[in-house]
Amino acid sequence: MLRYTLSRLGAMLLTMFIIMSLSFWIIRLMPQSIFENPEVAPEVQKLLEAEMHLDKPMWVQYYYFIRDIVTKRDFGRSVKLRPGMDVFKVIATRIKPSMVLNFFSLLLSIPAGIILGTIAALQRNKWPDNLISFLVVIFISVPSFVFGAVLQYTFTFRIPLFPTLYDATAASFGEMFHSLTLPIIALALGPAATIARYLRGELIETLSSEFLLLARTKGLTRAQAVVRHAFRNSLVPIANTIIPMITGIMGGSLVIERIFAVPGMGGQLVESIVVGDHFLTVALLMFYSAISLITIFVVDISYGLIDPRIRVGGGK
Amino acid sequence: MIVDRNRLPEEIRDLPESCFEIVGAEDIRDEAPKTEAIGFFKDAISRLRKNKLSVIAFWLISLVIVSAIIVPYLTGYSYTAQNVALRNLPPKIPGLEKLGIADGTRILTNRPKDSLREFPADSIVEIVREYRINNVEMVDVKVDYYAYAGVPEGEYHWMGTDYLGRDLCTRLFMGARVSLLIAFFAVVANIIIGVIYGACAGYYGGKVDMLLTHFAEILDGLPYLVVTILFMLLLGSGMLSIVLALTVTGWIGTARLVRAQFYRFKGREYVLAARTLGVKDRALIFRHILPNAIGPVITRAMISIPGAIFSESFLAYIGLGIKPPSPSIGILLSDGQRVLLQYPYQTVFPAVLISVLMVSFNLFANGLRDALDPTQRGEI
Repeated sequence: MLRYTLSRLGAMLLTMFIIMSLSFWIIRLMPQSIFENPEVAPEVQKLLEAEMHLDKPMWVQYYYFIRDIVTKRDFGRSVKLRPGMDVFKVIATRIKPSMVLNFFSLLLSIPAGIILGTIAALQRNKWPDNLISFLVVIFISVPSFVFGAVLQYTFTFRIPLFPTLYDATAASFGEMFHSLTLPIIALALGPAATIARYLRGELIETLSSEFLLLARTKGLTRAQAVVRHAFRNSLVPIANTIIPMITGIMGGSLVIERIFAVPGMGGQLVESIVVGDHFLTVALLMFYSAISLITIFVVDISYGLIDPRIRVGGGK
Repeated sequence: MIVDRNRLPEEIRDLPESCFEIVGAEDIRDEAPKTEAIGFFKDAISRLRKNKLSVIAFWLISLVIVSAIIVPYLTGYSYTAQNVALRNLPPKIPGLEKLGIADGTRILTNRPKDSLREFPADSIVEIVREYRINNVEMVDVKVDYYAYAGVPEGEYHWMGTDYLGRDLCTRLFMGARVSLLIAFFAVVANIIIGVIYGACAGYYGGKVDMLLTHFAEILDGLPYLVVTILFMLLLGSGMLSIVLALTVTGWIGTARLVRAQFYRFKGREYVLAARTLGVKDRALIFRHILPNAIGPVITRAMISIPGAIFSESFLAYIGLGIKPPSPSIGILLSDGQRVLLQYPYQTVFPAVLISVLMVSFNLFANGLRDALDPTQRGEI
């Protein structure tokens, strides 16, 4: 298990390095000077460029970039959006609303998906199943930003239950949460439907298995058999579909944040790309990559724990 | 009678046919098949036809494709022609206007009565309500925007116009055209690369497979969102760059599928037989083994089309996709979003179109999967 874990960890670090290099080269080769600011005097620009090694050839810059990250965990400083500020401090100012939004979307989608999936499986081919299956197709197919628009129009304009946009001046967490309710729902619909669909398939397979028949014949009620035997067996594969969803939710939140004017990281990524704040862009892309890679790593490790054949046989 | 006379003994070779009689097989009771032979695809299509949802989805997709081709020519407007005087006109559809829906009017609420002077007299349809707030006379008024903007009678914008006065119907179907083309080319590119890559890895196996699989695995580890954004930055905006950005990691799933299929079939006896008969590698790959993978590959292609449409509109939404003035469904949605509360119709039409497309493609792909692979039938 240790060897397997180490090999997955190595793969993760290698991937991280590739992304780091790709981001560096692609973003630096873009035709946009890092300091194209008419308000900064040319001499100051020269000094700043020298300090950030921007006056040296690309390969040397690449060396300094990698060295600073490896030795000092220093991704550089923001140059346009928040000049002079360490990029991670810049990210820290925007991380909270994004994380609240993403976390609660996931938190809402899991029970919703599990309940819907279970109902659909138990009522197979009856009207609740048909209704849920219909909703699942809609929620999986229709993009989250369409739901965002629909929810925004319906529940802030027609029926004003929630504020139209994110309340940046909210005094308490409760108020902030209130203004985040609609974006959370808009983001959670897709993942909830995915969980429901997957769980329905898993449960239907388990429900027709022989050990469930045995559980029923030894006298358990249907509910007992389902909860204790069928459900547990289906939860293992479900867990491994939920973890990668984190990445999907973060991607979706890029757009949802824009619709509801949430001052989160998605907006910051887009802004930093538009104005050409290269160090910040790289750091944000690395942040998104790290989260995505960690989820993959967790899934790999959990598969290794559940199914020992994977770690013995290697990748094939 | 099928007798090769040259093979008969010499003394009876010249006897007339009537001297011969078939011995042993008095009469053949087999019947010639009366129905047509049903091949794999015919069978699949007949199964697909029985799935009502898929049939509806198929016709909806066809309808959208046909509209995307012809509607931009029918409206009589150009998708880039701007006319600021005609901006944000509500939808007006001939026929429906008499019923009071889509008649080009809008109800303005909370207007001081004095401000009505700026509207030409013929543009005010009716005053819905009159009331006073703080001794100011206020009205809710229904205004014919077409008359207000000076649009000649008989000129219609079926879906209204946007903030630059461009006809939304033309733009929507132009946008659908762009989105569908991007999705189509991205999927075709992914399938071609994936099939060739997977076929090589699966067929040759051993070191080749190990190298190819490891490379694909590393590429697959790169987060989709980050890679797409990076490549959009590298390639700049435009249709071709979106197609390329969606191809960078998009082909890996297909490659994996094809590789697995090759592993399943390359050891079968019929492949061995073909190889013994001297069939070349290329023919073995493409003629003998690949057809076994065609069903899952088609299904995968269909399933990835809505994904590509979504990615395209997603990129447009965050400002990295197609650049205005070229329309795409994503651009229209993000333009509409800005004025959602004032002019909801600008969001409604693209939102409905993209939803119909996504749902239809998903339903059709599911039907197709069930039809091509009956063992997996029944799941959504």
